[in-house]
Amino acid sequence: MAVAVEMPKLGNTVEECLIARWLKQEGQVVSAGETVVEIETDKTSFEVAATVDGTVLAKFFEQGALVPVFTPLFVLGNPGENVEPFRPQSKGSTPAANVAGSPMPNARNASPVVQPVATTDASLTNSTAPLSPRAQRFAEEHNFHPQTVSGSGPGGRVLEGDLRALYHSFPKVSGAASRRVQNGAEVPREGSGIGGMILSSDMASDRGASGTRISGVREKIARRMREAVISTAQYTLHASADACGLLMLRARIKASSAVPDININDLVTFCVVQALLEVPDLNVLFVDGKILPGRGVHIGFACDTPRGLLVPVVRNAQAMTVAELATRTKELSAQAVQVKISADDLSGGTFTVSNLGVFGIESFTPLLNPPQVAILGINAIQVKAVRREGKVEFIDSIGLSLTLDHQIIDGAPGARFLKLVREKIENVEQICTI
Amino acid sequence: MYDLIVVGAGPGGYEAADHAGKMGKKVALVEKEQLGGTCLNVGCIPAKAFLRSSRLFRDCCEAAAYGVRVGAPEFDMPAVVERKNRVVATLGKGVQGILKRAGVEVIRGYARLISRNTIEVAGSRYQAANLLLATGSRPAVPPIPGIQSEHTLDSNTVFALQHVPATMAIIGGGYIGLEFACFFQEIGTQVSVFEMLPQIATGADEEVSARMLQILERKGIEFHLSAKVLRIEGHTVYFATQEGRQSSVEAEYILNSTGRVPVVDDLGLENLGIDFSSKGIRTSEQGKTNIPGLWACGDVTGRRMLAHAATREGMVAVNNMFGRKDRVRYNAVPAVVYTHPEVAMVGRTEEELRNAGIKYKKSVVPMAVAGRFLVEHEDGTGLVKVLCGSDFGEILGVHAIGNGCSEFIVAAAIMVETEMCVADANEIVFPHPTVSESLKEAIAGVH
Repeated sequence: MAVAVEMPKLGNTVEECLIARWLKQEGQVVSAGETVVEIETDKTSFEVAATVDGTVLAKFFEQGALVPVFTPLFVLGNPGENVEPFRPQSKGSTPAANVAGSPMPNARNASPVVQPVATTDASLTNSTAPLSPRAQRFAEEHNFHPQTVSGSGPGGRVLEGDLRALYHSFPKVSGAASRRVQNGAEVPREGSGIGGMILSSDMASDRGASGTRISGVREKIARRMREAVISTAQYTLHASADACGLLMLRARIKASSAVPDININDLVTFCVVQALLEVPDLNVLFVDGKILPGRGVHIGFACDTPRGLLVPVVRNAQAMTVAELATRTKELSAQAVQVKISADDLSGGTFTVSNLGVFGIESFTPLLNPPQVAILGINAIQVKAVRREGKVEFIDSIGLSLTLDHQIIDGAPGARFLKLVREKIENVEQICTI
Repeated sequence: MYDLIVVGAGPGGYEAADHAGKMGKKVALVEKEQLGGTCLNVGCIPAKAFLRSSRLFRDCCEAAAYGVRVGAPEFDMPAVVERKNRVVATLGKGVQGILKRAGVEVIRGYARLISRNTIEVAGSRYQAANLLLATGSRPAVPPIPGIQSEHTLDSNTVFALQHVPATMAIIGGGYIGLEFACFFQEIGTQVSVFEMLPQIATGADEEVSARMLQILERKGIEFHLSAKVLRIEGHTVYFATQEGRQSSVEAEYILNSTGRVPVVDDLGLENLGIDFSSKGIRTSEQGKTNIPGLWACGDVTGRRMLAHAATREGMVAVNNMFGRKDRVRYNAVPAVVYTHPEVAMVGRTEEELRNAGIKYKKSVVPMAVAGRFLVEHEDGTGLVKVLCGSDFGEILGVHAIGNGCSEFIVAAAIMVETEMCVADANEIVFPHPTVSESLKEAIAGVH
């Protein structure tokens, strides 16, 4: 004789529970007292056990479903018995689809609450404690993904109650303001509306009808740049290197039809790669208080495109000849400009170079590309007076601006690296085999 | 030493005093006349009491249209004034009770500022950490020769009339003038309104103002727009028409309703370096003046000149002076004109949006889309207009004309206050059958 096991009522105020995990599948034989399914209230989780020995004939709900109390969850009995009489009318609420990676809800499901700027950072949300399925569901339904939330569940597990409390501790966002958030606007910490509600007039990026909303790419650039400044301790060292060798080599390359076109930028980048091989301390990523050494030298280069700044990455530049490096760089910049570049080629860099020398810039402050800890700016080649053996000579000199993260790289090691780069550049003809 | 002394016991001052008293502060309230200020004694409340009587009179006259036969009704002006006085007295006592419960000390007399934390009333000096100026306003007296003649009334003296005038000339087609125009027209007075501007109810949305003019003219009120009153001699109002032609109208009484001016004189403001002009004391959205510890709210600031705006401003000032951050969001302060039909509005007008270059969508529906409106008003006419942002559909303004709209405009105010978007507002359930359903339909009509 088949029996149904119902969702228990676990407290006076509990109206429904969430299916956390099925431990038994349909067709499995269980004995009385064995746990079949784990369920969760907004506070904690419970186990629902088999009431009799038998086979699990049917499970009525999927994991993640929200099921009212006293609704049949599963049926135990002998194979072949009819389970239909037990099947509940309601299917429960549909489980949150693809909980972990579900996309942003659309504007209609816009959250009335959005966390303040300082904690809003999609790229850093992975550091939080595990969310219970109920909490995950709450997060999805409310489009609420706080960076840090202290969990009160076992092992710091974040329960729905924790998330709900945090959710209500943030200021509310008005209907119009939350739609602006969906469009990429930032949420200020404080609102001037009723009960501290954040109004669209409180949003910095809102310039009324006269302003133009920035593009999605621009918004990303803006965020990255802000992060770069906020999350690092940047400082820049300026130096210059004798560029005679560079210019001579460049002239030789131009004259030769046997080698592909290699420009000054490629030559300097090649020198940087060689220097990084000698000073691996700068070829690292700084993530969550840990230094991760780069597995290979992956050189990002700043690329001016119609959509704005993109930074394609030449992977494993340490294994490339200067010609290969130049060819790959050209390939990637063409793809970037034509908006054909793949996302994979825009990430994973361990060091970046940025060349404004072509515009005649004499020195500048490149902004770091976190979690990288260094970026080299390449400046214009200028004529410089130097004193050699008591005589003043005029030489061609290339400017170098090296920005470093002082959190990781102090001034002296930074300066030593820049000196090394200068030496490489000044001896470029020996380093580069064309 | 008080935490707060409030000068003026109108809806700005007494509510602020009550609020501060409930916060446990030591509060005194100075009033030279009656508690309740203009609103309670010679403004909102008496005017509404009068209008209630005139509407009842009008209802009796039109009862046959609803299938009810009554004899010829009679308008007993002394009894109407008597009732008005009773209502005012009851509410006045209520204010007294509120202040007593909040532990507010009421000081009777005329307050003069001695310094930024000291006032003098009847020879005694009082000190407070904060002074809130809520001295209100008085009827404006424009420079029209003869305006202070014996046949000229203003919005204070009109409440003492003991008979129904045969004719009435009203100078000023603003909210106050229009309410009185309605009142007198309904009780059988022949009413003419003189307005300097080309439209009436300036400040209301243009469509609403145009509809109002149409309705009131149809009721029999005579309007002289773009008219400049030149002088008053005895019972005669001389005026120049829009075309510059001189003309005159005779009336038993002439009502001056050309607006109100803040009471800023004879308070000692000039001694303190406080930033003010004849248009009022300048305040921030937090209720601050340029002098620390000196605050102002209500008509004396010359901002919105509405009782409920004064109340909110006073509460905001009190909140800020005692460390609770708050500000008045003027964009969400509703306004009502208690003409018949009523006009109610909140937020921006279409003209304001146009001038500000804000892209908007609008929806206008007749009030009669709500069945209840037709039930209540034989021959009723009116409209509800919703204005919202074109990108997100946030509700920016709601403007209505038609009886009943004063009672549901607060719903629209909440929408404007919270920047609610049309898509969300469509999910709100409006009770049926109510006139408020016209608002629902107007919102649903935004595309």
